[in-house]
Amino acid sequence: MTTIEKPRPAAVPEPTGRLAGLAPHARTLRVLGGVLTVVGTYLPWATFVLNDGPYPEQSTLEFFTVPYGVTGFRLHLLLFGIAAIVLALAAVPAKGRMIRALGVGVIAISVVNGLYIVGEGGGLGAITVADGVAFGAIVALIGGVLLVVGANAGGIEPQPVWNWRLNPWVERALLVVVVVVLLLLVAAVLTSGGQGGSGYAGGVFLSFLAAVGAAIAALSASGLLAWVTALTERHRLYSVALLLAAALLLPLTSAGTEYWMTVAATIGVYAATAIGLNIVVGLAGLLDLGYVAFLGIGAFVAANLSGAAASTIGITLPFPLVMVIAAIIAGIFGAIVGSPTLRVRGDYLAIVTLAFGEIFVRSAQNNIGGLTGGSNAIPNIPPVSLFGTDFNEGVEIGALELPPGFLYYVLIVLIISAVMVVFANLKFSRLGRAWIAIREDEDAARAMGIRTGPIKILAFLIGAMLAGLAGAFYAHKLGTVSYESFRFLESVTLLAAVILGGMGTIPGAVLGASVLFVLPEKLREFSEYRLLLFGIALVLIMRFRPQGIVPDAHRRAELAPETDPAIVAAEEKVAAEAKGEKS
Amino acid sequence: MLSTFLSQVVNGLILGSLIGLIALGYTMVYGIIQLINFAHGEIFMVGSYGGLAMFTYLLPTAIQNQWWFALPLLLIAGAAIAVVVAVLMERFAYRPLRNAPRLAPLITALGVSVALQEAVRVFYPNATAAVPFPKVFVEGTLAIPIGDGIVPIRYTGMLIIVVSLLLAFALNTFVNNSRMGRAMRATSQDRDVARLMGINPDRVIVLTFVLGAALAGVAGILYGADLGLININIGLQNGLFAFTAAVLGGIGNIKGAVAGGLVIGLVKTLGGQYLPGGTPYDYVWIFVVLIAVLVFRPQGFFGETERVRA
Amino acid sequence: MSFLQVTDLTVAYGAIQAVRGVTFSVERGQIVSLIGSNGAGKTTTLRTISGLLRPVAGTVLLDGKPIHALPAHEILGLGVAHSPEGRRLFARMTVEENLRLGAYTRSDEPGILADLDRVYDLFPVLGERRRNKAGLFSGGEQQMLAIGRALMSRPKLLMLDEPSMGLSPIMTQKIFSTVRELRSEGTTVLLVEQNALAALALSDHAYVIDLGRTTLSGTGHELLADPRVQEAYLGEGVAN
Repeated sequence: MTTIEKPRPAAVPEPTGRLAGLAPHARTLRVLGGVLTVVGTYLPWATFVLNDGPYPEQSTLEFFTVPYGVTGFRLHLLLFGIAAIVLALAAVPAKGRMIRALGVGVIAISVVNGLYIVGEGGGLGAITVADGVAFGAIVALIGGVLLVVGANAGGIEPQPVWNWRLNPWVERALLVVVVVVLLLLVAAVLTSGGQGGSGYAGGVFLSFLAAVGAAIAALSASGLLAWVTALTERHRLYSVALLLAAALLLPLTSAGTEYWMTVAATIGVYAATAIGLNIVVGLAGLLDLGYVAFLGIGAFVAANLSGAAASTIGITLPFPLVMVIAAIIAGIFGAIVGSPTLRVRGDYLAIVTLAFGEIFVRSAQNNIGGLTGGSNAIPNIPPVSLFGTDFNEGVEIGALELPPGFLYYVLIVLIISAVMVVFANLKFSRLGRAWIAIREDEDAARAMGIRTGPIKILAFLIGAMLAGLAGAFYAHKLGTVSYESFRFLESVTLLAAVILGGMGTIPGAVLGASVLFVLPEKLREFSEYRLLLFGIALVLIMRFRPQGIVPDAHRRAELAPETDPAIVAAEEKVAAEAKGEKS
Repeated sequence: MLSTFLSQVVNGLILGSLIGLIALGYTMVYGIIQLINFAHGEIFMVGSYGGLAMFTYLLPTAIQNQWWFALPLLLIAGAAIAVVVAVLMERFAYRPLRNAPRLAPLITALGVSVALQEAVRVFYPNATAAVPFPKVFVEGTLAIPIGDGIVPIRYTGMLIIVVSLLLAFALNTFVNNSRMGRAMRATSQDRDVARLMGINPDRVIVLTFVLGAALAGVAGILYGADLGLININIGLQNGLFAFTAAVLGGIGNIKGAVAGGLVIGLVKTLGGQYLPGGTPYDYVWIFVVLIAVLVFRPQGFFGETERVRA
Repeated sequence: MSFLQVTDLTVAYGAIQAVRGVTFSVERGQIVSLIGSNGAGKTTTLRTISGLLRPVAGTVLLDGKPIHALPAHEILGLGVAHSPEGRRLFARMTVEENLRLGAYTRSDEPGILADLDRVYDLFPVLGERRRNKAGLFSGGEQQMLAIGRALMSRPKLLMLDEPSMGLSPIMTQKIFSTVRELRSEGTTVLLVEQNALAALALSDHAYVIDLGRTTLSGTGHELLADPRVQEAYLGEGVAN
């Protein structure tokens, strides 16, 4: 076998392409971009309601009123601008990469705010001086563009890798801090702008999201995020416990109201389902376009065993038992739907699963066997009740008053944890490796003695069981189960969640589900365009970031351009590990 | 009852020839770039709405009532709009992914499908509900007495069958005998070597989309004229049927797509009539056929001969 | 000025450089061959000249004009025909359809008909079976059809990739004598061969490509006599 040398990229790559001519001015451009961003921060934005909300309160020339008191998106811009200037002048590794991330963030914040000001504040007239002006947004936008141009002109370095080791206890303490910050960040993102549909909720949320996203991207560019990830891997169990604790503490933050608990529980249902789908699509590489049917089957099973008036079976069972039964029945259907994988592959398999999904929807619509309620749905499903407590009520533990929905939230967190444990164990087991082998090259896997048939069906079965589990929860939480919740579009949305997050990864599926179900909640003023934007977003993701937000380290760059640094780094790591194992 | 059976056969053939017309687009695109162009059903829907828009907003009332004039205009408008949308879709959604792994274009196709359907729902006046479509052809039915009953045949139904078969025949002739048709077949068999012959694959692929979209646009108009009512869901639904038809006929096979369409039409009407569950379950039977074909005979029922694809 | 001048050509598949600095030239009316072992980069070089691949660096000049940035279908129009490795016929089309595809860019029907007859004259077996599907033919017949197809565009430069691969010695001889015949008619031929002996005997000029670089050059007879070439490519290690 011949080995081919892979030339290591130099620390500072030669700038190439259209911007190469600007390389000598890269630093100037970067500093200028940062300065313009800071200047934009202090310019008036507009006299519109946006400025009265939680994010910037005032519309005057901020510099003269509260030079140090900027808040909201002004604060984000100020921080980004200063950070960009510092980075441009200091000797920091991968500064081009970080500045690019900041620049993109500045552009996003400026565009969101500028558009909202223009859109909500009387059209293009809002950009005239007389009306109080959105040119702060425009100046910052120019600053952001300069930052990106300057970053690209100077060359984008590869992401640095840090190998610091600290005292284990210091590392653990650090992880606590990281998790707490993460918790507060999640709560802040979730609640920013308030409930969707009210005032400028959408704009404030998007602006904040852009800021958080850019900050995380910059951290990731610096390699610190990868270092923290390595840290969590060194303290695996500890980190998992911390995250679980943090998730259970969310109700104590600003997000601890009934509304947010309900939103979080709904996200949880889809996140759990997405993880299940991730086994089928992400690990085994079998595209399932009818997956939401299993969520539906689980939900209908639970509805029929719940004692709801519309259920014709007339048996009422306790919830934990119902969950198990729902999972088993969904799993049986999963095996049936999966059985064509013995003969069908690729695109054709996707169509087979789609056909099964459609058969499910049609049958449910026609109230098959009197089990689905047809177009009347199955309403009035009683809430989960354990130890005399209905889960839809608030609870008081000592002096602590927890909002209604809290118990459901805890329940779904536990369900997701269980699902994650299943997924993680499977992924790194013999079975998981077999799935991945099948995904990479089915014929080769078979040639190596993997019995591909049963293993593929098992992927469908397990994925369907997880969805069935989530479905049982879903039925009780919503109180109504209708076939309309399990149509083709929902399957596509779940698939999009898995892809958006990053196929084959747990955080990816959760993140993808969160994004896809929080965004519509927050952007109610666009609800008319929700699906239109969703469709366009799907096309754009496939075009520009097919590997998702969190690319899988162990996944071959099937969907990604080979130049993605994260994937290249991950592949090299995997290759190094494999070498280490052999020797 | 023989007359009931024959009526359902007639209905099945009418629906089937429409589905066959849509299936041609699926089959050709798959033949050339191995893409299940999920959005093709929406192209059919867009063609239907596009023709309706032209009719409603551009045609003077005097002409609206002259079917022999209005119908050809509608067909051309429907085809033209379908073609424009399809070309844009190919250029901006699919072409950038030409060399991407196969999952990516399939998901893109799903995205395009959702976006097109929603674009019509949001931007076409009153498209949230079904909208009436002009019956731009001779209305009424031809009643043929058979046994102790009658078999009604709608005139629009006859139109659909005749137009569909003519177009399918024309397409088949084009692909098999023209220079561009040869280029299409060459591109589908070996794209690199086709380039060495001086064939520009991009142009061939665009041509494929154009032909498929034009046929789908025509189908959209015929569909509306026959039923007198269209809604934004007709694309997904009939698109799935058409895809089934294309698979049934052996994907890449032009004659097969038409034959597959006719079979699907018959399965729907006869299944709804005679199988348990009745009409509410007629869709289910089509999907059962789809699964059965994919599992047991994925190459379709027309074998390997005369195929467009590699 | 050479008819075809390839300078410092570098071609990569992803991170792997298959060709890293190939330089050679072809004069009008000559037969030039590129020889070298498997995986040396010969096929990649041809695919780059015909535009199927894009070079990372280096130039390809045809008649002094750069063509390395042009798409494949335009390069054919400049008079470069490429008969690819493994023949790659359109197996489900007839002989005549394959040949007509070779003339795809031409619109002079009488000329095309004349060239069809010329190919049928050159390879009578093709004429006898012009309505048969190409996939049903034997290896040698397929190679004839592949060459015929390339000739249908009336190329100024004909590039043949491994025309003798998998053929019987008699058939190989037939193919090579055809190549000689084509030169006498004024066609320039660029030949890639693993059968170095036969190729060098035929060539006016030849280059050795090794590990993606041109390492030796000379007339066909010079290289035949070169001990390095004899050892590496003509010795007992060469099966065919």
